[in-house]
Amino acid sequence: MSTASEIDGRPGYVPAGSSQSESWGEWIDRHSRTYFIAPAVVLILLFAIFPTFYSIVFALSRVKFTPSGLTFRFVWFQNFVKQFTGTEQAHFLGKLTGMSAAGWVFGLAVAAVTLWWLIRSIRKTTWVGMIGRTISAAAAIGIALLLGATLLSLNPWGTMLTTLFYVVVGCIIQFIIGTGLAFLCSQPITGKSFFRVIFFIPLMITPLGVGYAFKMIFDITKGPFQPFWEFIGLRDWAWSADVWAARWFVVLGDSWQWIPFIFICMLAALENVPKDHVEAAQVDGASSIQIFREIIWPQIVPVAVTVILIRMIEAFKIVDLPNIMTGGGPGIATESMSLHSFYLWRANDYGQSAAVAYLLLILTVVVCASFFNYVVYNQFRKARA
Amino acid sequence: MSQASYRFDKAKRSLMERLFEAPGIGRMSPAAKIVAYALLLFWSAFVLFPIYWVIITSFKTAQAVNQGPFFIPFVDFQPTLDAWRTQFTADPYCDLYAVGRQLVLLFHNSIAFLLSPVVSIQPMEPQICKVYLAYTNSFVISFASTIVCMVVGSMAAYALARIQYRPRFGNILVFVLLALAAILATTFAGVHWFYTAAVALALFFLLARTIGKHFRGRLRNGDILFWIISQRILPPVVVVIPVYMMFQAIGLIDTHIALILVYAVANLPIVVWLMHDFFANLPIELEESAQLDGATRFGIFWEIVLPLTRPGLAATTLLTLILSWNEYLFAVFLSTAKAQTMPIMVAAKNAGEKGILWWEMCAIIVVMIIPVILMAILLQRFIAKGVLLGAIKG
Amino acid sequence: MAGFNTKVPVTFDKIQKSFGHVRVLEELNLLVEPGEFLVLLGASGSGKTTALRILSGLETASAGRVLIGERDVTEILPKYRDISMVFQSYALYPHKTVAENIGFPLKVRKVPAAEAESQIREVAAQVQLAELLHRYPRELSGGQRQRVALARAIIRRPSVFLMDEPLSNLDAKLRGHMRAELKHMQQALGITTIYVTHDQIEAMTLAHRVAILERGVLQQLATPAEIYNNPANLFVAQFIGSPPMNVVQGSLEGNRFTTAGASIESPVAGRSDKVILGFRPEDCSIVADGNGAIKGRIYTTELIGDHTLVTVETEQDKLTVKAPKDFAGKQGDATGIALSKDHLYIFDAASGQRLR
Ligand SMILES: Nc1ncnc2c1ncn2[C@@H]1O[C@H](COP(=O)(O)OP(=O)(O)OP(=O)(O)O)[C@@H](O)[C@H]1O
Ligand SMILES: [Mg+2]
Repeated sequence: MSTASEIDGRPGYVPAGSSQSESWGEWIDRHSRTYFIAPAVVLILLFAIFPTFYSIVFALSRVKFTPSGLTFRFVWFQNFVKQFTGTEQAHFLGKLTGMSAAGWVFGLAVAAVTLWWLIRSIRKTTWVGMIGRTISAAAAIGIALLLGATLLSLNPWGTMLTTLFYVVVGCIIQFIIGTGLAFLCSQPITGKSFFRVIFFIPLMITPLGVGYAFKMIFDITKGPFQPFWEFIGLRDWAWSADVWAARWFVVLGDSWQWIPFIFICMLAALENVPKDHVEAAQVDGASSIQIFREIIWPQIVPVAVTVILIRMIEAFKIVDLPNIMTGGGPGIATESMSLHSFYLWRANDYGQSAAVAYLLLILTVVVCASFFNYVVYNQFRKARA
Repeated sequence: MSQASYRFDKAKRSLMERLFEAPGIGRMSPAAKIVAYALLLFWSAFVLFPIYWVIITSFKTAQAVNQGPFFIPFVDFQPTLDAWRTQFTADPYCDLYAVGRQLVLLFHNSIAFLLSPVVSIQPMEPQICKVYLAYTNSFVISFASTIVCMVVGSMAAYALARIQYRPRFGNILVFVLLALAAILATTFAGVHWFYTAAVALALFFLLARTIGKHFRGRLRNGDILFWIISQRILPPVVVVIPVYMMFQAIGLIDTHIALILVYAVANLPIVVWLMHDFFANLPIELEESAQLDGATRFGIFWEIVLPLTRPGLAATTLLTLILSWNEYLFAVFLSTAKAQTMPIMVAAKNAGEKGILWWEMCAIIVVMIIPVILMAILLQRFIAKGVLLGAIKG
Repeated sequence: MAGFNTKVPVTFDKIQKSFGHVRVLEELNLLVEPGEFLVLLGASGSGKTTALRILSGLETASAGRVLIGERDVTEILPKYRDISMVFQSYALYPHKTVAENIGFPLKVRKVPAAEAESQIREVAAQVQLAELLHRYPRELSGGQRQRVALARAIIRRPSVFLMDEPLSNLDAKLRGHMRAELKHMQQALGITTIYVTHDQIEAMTLAHRVAILERGVLQQLATPAEIYNNPANLFVAQFIGSPPMNVVQGSLEGNRFTTAGASIESPVAGRSDKVILGFRPEDCSIVADGNGAIKGRIYTTELIGDHTLVTVETEQDKLTVKAPKDFAGKQGDATGIALSKDHLYIFDAASGQRLR
């Protein structure tokens, strides 16, 4: 174009201003792309990614203490194999002897349904999606068979099922109660902010403190409910010796602590529902239950599933509460996988400790990723459509 | 006509209607109100009772705890300050002077550590009773880690919200392989970690500059964001042993720095995830306008962006503070004496031969709860606004 | 820094821009004269904002060069381009007072506080904000906010002003007022200004020259009068004018334009099967049935105030005619439309180009 050269000749014009030599501050500004993100990336690489890889080495080795430090002997997947087959099987998976008919029926029924779902989805997804679905399906079938072999065959559980119990049952209970409380608090009642502050408190208390407080409160002889236990004739009962009671008490403590989290998130979601939608329904004469079901719930589902996902991720890490309330007992009935790994570490068995930790990581990723893909993602797609 | 009109006459409504029908839009029927308040009050009691029990237990004597339940101070039992005295005043160095000296010590020792390659400064020895030490440590560690985490995390979150990054996938692969090679060399071949790390880093930069250019696949901001957030899935037990080894290798076991860094990284995903959404939802014209006016990137971030996300910052800060204040697992692994935090003090009351010293433990739990509750009440305004939702809306 | 009164030209040199596969600007060539008030006019999505953002440096062009004055600024960071911009949303910083907002460009340039203070006062007085300096943006009316944005833009005395639909958030009355203010201020400062709008009245009243953009292609660049009287193509002809120009499809043979039921003397000669005749509602009149070049029936009438708009249904079209305000025709009446030969435009139906 000729326009450019036309301008070049124009006299008396001072070009738009900028200093020619770069100052220190400008040099920094020019590299802001890097320094804004580099610290975070470096920290995560150093303290999350690198240790995760390092952990593989532990998990694949037999680690011994020598005067000069740790020595590693590479044993391939022995540490993992042990969890599934050998001496540690009962600890990790549970006792698998004598699977009952009910167990078989349940396990095979779930397997059949899952396989049917898998085959049906072949046409619908890409091969990457298919790999993901196959992994999810395998995990589901494995867990179902394990449930059949232990729960339905009256065999004791291993740490894996206990962890899943905390995650699934804990999340369901916490979500229902937390959402219910949030719904109540979103109603036109006086003293809302009071309840809000009160309900928020448990989240701020150290899990350790929660564990001890509940241990103290549910002490049969010295706790505050002693008169009650005495009244119903459970004076000599020890819940910590009862497998299911102990598990439920751990869930109770966990719920006490985490319901507030669901509560505040869901309350925020509820308050974000446009007022005019609700008012329109009120004018139409809907009851508050109807309004919740028809108007509010569909709008908060995406938030709800996200909150559940977050809660699930944190629930997989549960360690403080069972450690304190029950010490993993009776036997290993309340031992989560984190606690399992922790105890192995305390017994100086670093290799197996790392192996169990890795298995927990795999389980967490498979379950959470499945939940994300089939539930959370779908909800968001629906919400956007 | 008369059939319909009585429904509008409030005085003529039947008892059932009065009970179950809301008196107006935006109000609740009396029956619903009763049920709602009953549920809310029940839950308040359920929430508050354990806390109440912890508080009164801290004022009980050993006998009062062991002889069965006593519920109301002054009525049921005579509260004493025994549990508080034995821990907070009885030991030597249990005073504010010791706390002040400890803070000076931390400052002095970190300078000494930083300068250790150049000059050797004698580090100070702590002179402070255990609980005071742990309390000071908890404050210093949780605040410092929160600050580090908030600064690093919100800068990264802002960058991911506003700057396009396209790292090459291949370079990341190279990095991972080199890291693995370095780990293997250190553990099985016995090479000193310092050399493997140096060689691996040098190789990485070399490879990234040369063959790295030929890799095609690139990641986007969304991938980086997902990668950072997904780190939250990582169970602490997976990383804690290697992290222990790393800190041991550089002599940072049982130091504040170790815990500060680890807590900061553990909470980084949360900060990045929450703050990213706050930043992404700001109207971009504000930043563009500042950019045209000549502000630097950091200037925009500091002057425009941060003030506008103050509610989000407050909520995120509170969350990070609570998480690091209450953390136990990393503290057990990484601290033995000097850097012990309050949760470890709580657990320590379990170790005696006399069983758990409930009254003393409860006193410690109470002093642990007080600051977080104060803070939560201070920041309640922001939480109540539902700021956490920002991130959840996704 | 460029001086206050330095008038600077701006050049878009073969600028192209695509977002992925979407081509937003196709070879935009545009020379803005020093001190000129140029209005970029176009429908929504035509690429006006994109062009402006490329000039400001907030977006990078896919190809081509941008020059401010004689400098090629294509690769230069926004802050070194010495431009200032008024956004449609004003982009006022909600946490800063009016004074702090206006003074922000000085603050980032580290102008001493005392000097900045006096400049803020001076500029604020210029836009009649002197009393409001301590308020926050949320405490201002729309027009006041708009003036704050203006003040922030002029305090730096940039070489080029950019405005992206700065008046579209105001109500009609205030818009008229601010339009006058803007025009006055631009005249007084003499700063080269590029103004984006999709409102033709703004374009016609403000501009020295108007550039009409459609789908990323520059349609015509001319003075408002020229654009109105001599549209370069059918798009421009229909885009400018309210109500829009009437169009009638037909064929051209020699000097006559023929359409169903009418034959009209054309201002240009030629031979083509497919042409379009255009005439503005204000350039024709309603006449008694049987007279006039076109005949039809009254479809509806709308009294606007000082005139009446009459829609006439012909065999294939509905045409609009501007009639006196006391027009008395009734819906359904047969009527004729008289045209004036000097105000007819003939366009090629395929390309839309004007035949001259
Ligand atoms: N960041 C982007 N990514 C993809 N497409 C974009 C982007 N920005 C603009 N576009 C597209 O480019 C085209 C022109 O956009 P532009 O904003 O320049 O239009 P405009 O003329 O300013 O319209 P309006 O009058 O509505 O503001 C539009 O079709 C728009 O969808
Ligand atoms: Mg636009």
